[in-house]
Amino acid sequence: MEPIAPRVEMAGAPRTAAPIAAPIATAEPRRDAASRAPADADALLDAPIDTPIDAPIDAPIDAPIDTILAIETPEHVVFEHRLAGPARRLLAYVVDLFVCYGALAVLAGLVLLAAFAVGTQLGGGEAFAKLGVGLLLVALFAVQWVYFVIFETLRGRTPGKLVAGLRVVTITGRPIGLAEAALRNLLRAADALPTGYLLGFVAMALSPRFQRLGDLVAGTVVIVVERPEVPRPLLLWPPPAPWELDALPARVALDAEERAALELFFRRRGTLGEGRERELAEMIVGPIAARYGYRLPDSVRTLALLYDRALHTGRADALPAAPPAPPASPASPARGAAT
Amino acid sequence: MSNVSRVAEPAFVARRRADWDDLERLARELRERGPKGLAGAELARLGPLHRDVCGDLAHAQSARYSAPLVDRLRLLTADGHAALYGLRPRGRGLRGALLGSGSGGLVHAFPRAVRRHAGAMALAAALFFVPLVVGALVVLRDPTFAFRIVPESMLKPLAEHYAQGFSGGRSADEGALMAGFYVNNNVGIALRCFALGIFGGLGSAFYLVFNGLAIGAIFGYVASVGAGDNIATFVVGHGSLELGAIVLSGGAGLALGWSIVAPGARTRLASLQAVGRDVVAIVGGASVMLVMAAAIEGFWSGSSIGALTKRVVGGGLFLLVLAYLALVGREGRGAGGDSK
Repeated sequence: MEPIAPRVEMAGAPRTAAPIAAPIATAEPRRDAASRAPADADALLDAPIDTPIDAPIDAPIDAPIDTILAIETPEHVVFEHRLAGPARRLLAYVVDLFVCYGALAVLAGLVLLAAFAVGTQLGGGEAFAKLGVGLLLVALFAVQWVYFVIFETLRGRTPGKLVAGLRVVTITGRPIGLAEAALRNLLRAADALPTGYLLGFVAMALSPRFQRLGDLVAGTVVIVVERPEVPRPLLLWPPPAPWELDALPARVALDAEERAALELFFRRRGTLGEGRERELAEMIVGPIAARYGYRLPDSVRTLALLYDRALHTGRADALPAAPPAPPASPASPARGAAT
Repeated sequence: MSNVSRVAEPAFVARRRADWDDLERLARELRERGPKGLAGAELARLGPLHRDVCGDLAHAQSARYSAPLVDRLRLLTADGHAALYGLRPRGRGLRGALLGSGSGGLVHAFPRAVRRHAGAMALAAALFFVPLVVGALVVLRDPTFAFRIVPESMLKPLAEHYAQGFSGGRSADEGALMAGFYVNNNVGIALRCFALGIFGGLGSAFYLVFNGLAIGAIFGYVASVGAGDNIATFVVGHGSLELGAIVLSGGAGLALGWSIVAPGARTRLASLQAVGRDVVAIVGGASVMLVMAAAIEGFWSGSSIGALTKRVVGGGLFLLVLAYLALVGREGRGAGGDSK
């Protein structure tokens, strides 16, 4: 029986879009959020069930400075949200300002037109204008204090945040309600001091979760809404030739960093030049190939075969009979060989 | 390191994909339409589906499936988590939060929160009314002192206005203009008065003292030119709502600030969050009071209705506000009132 690997290791796998330049595993193991979770079960039971596990108390000093909020669900799995930084939030805010004051300007124009029309047709335009100004003042109030609360309560995002791809959630990853939306937006008055949201910006810089004062009080964070990609397994292409399989060891074991690095490398292959591709492969192929005494003239192909074997060793389950879709990448299940 | 799962990724995806798509659709529909937009059977599926997907994520991570698959499951878990645990008993809508069911809404939560923070409210009242009285008395003795607090260019027309009395009344359009002004100005002041309480309560204290002083100075000055009766008649109608709401939201700000200064057994952040959540109902209630006050101030207080009527109604309103804050939302005797 093979030992069960701790599930947390994969949590540190690079995201497909992460701009890691070289696919070499770093010497220092990447710490991931889950490894900081309280180890003993009693502690877990005592803790509020969805306390974010990156609470500062548990964080080791050399934890990576990261913009990721890890949340452990009551089901005890960990998922992550990407936190939104000041630049993106400023963009959202500027869009909101345009929406609000644009609407206000349109309303003002309508009031003016209506007052003018009433004044020339019926007389009493002045009285009408006063009514209109009263209305405008209420609208001005709504723009300053109500707009954000309503949109964030009902949708979790204002139109500006929609444009910028942001959403407000609680620090436990749940949608916010009226109380949270009201608190975080009331506290805007404090964040905006002394001018231009300077205080809010400072609070965000000091907070590990990019929270301004309003977010701190309401217990909310602003996250980047991510679109899931369609998962596409890597395929070994062309299929392995018999002579390639001759010397390939039956079992290849790669550790989490090696696998993550190789996966990233193969997924990014299409964007690399041929020279750069070979250069990167040369950097990592040496130690791995030496470990298994397996080396083809083409180092990229060597890595592809080893990666494929590592991925599918011992996996011989019932697979769809039809061969998978056309090649996009070089590693493929090579199922015949794996059995 | 070896594989912990004998299931290859494509087989795993092929087997589980239908559930993933279902959860994604359910979470989206719940977000867009709320729990009432979904059939009961669909809602009942949410929990089991979410737990299955959590299991899938754990499996995909330990089996070291490809990063895009793990990413997709991660996002799906986040969606399911938000959908499942974001459900609220009275729905997420504004109406649910304001009125609630039974005694859960703002109508009851507001006076309860005020009573819970009676100390902060008393302090806020003192910070507001003591400068008000002192300011009025000082200005009565020396009217020019008022110009140091409120600009002369504002005080003089104000005094003339009150000296005229209200026999001319106020037209409806004038009333609408003033009501709009009061909403924008007064509610804004009250909300800011609360928000700046986060600085240890200092911002709230400043707003309370300054506004108390300014209002006292205006009172004193107007009285010193002989229109004291008129301004009292004007203020009495909406005063209990307007001044009361400023004191309440200032008190909420003081409570917020005090939560950082003396967090007790909690961390400062936890204390701030707990108190913020506790007092936000006060700010909501105070805003509603101020909007009501603005309507009264715009259409009633300046009208040509007799002074006696205004005073009687104003006095009645004052008692009503006090009774509301003191009595509403108390637990019924054995009637199964909600706890808190």
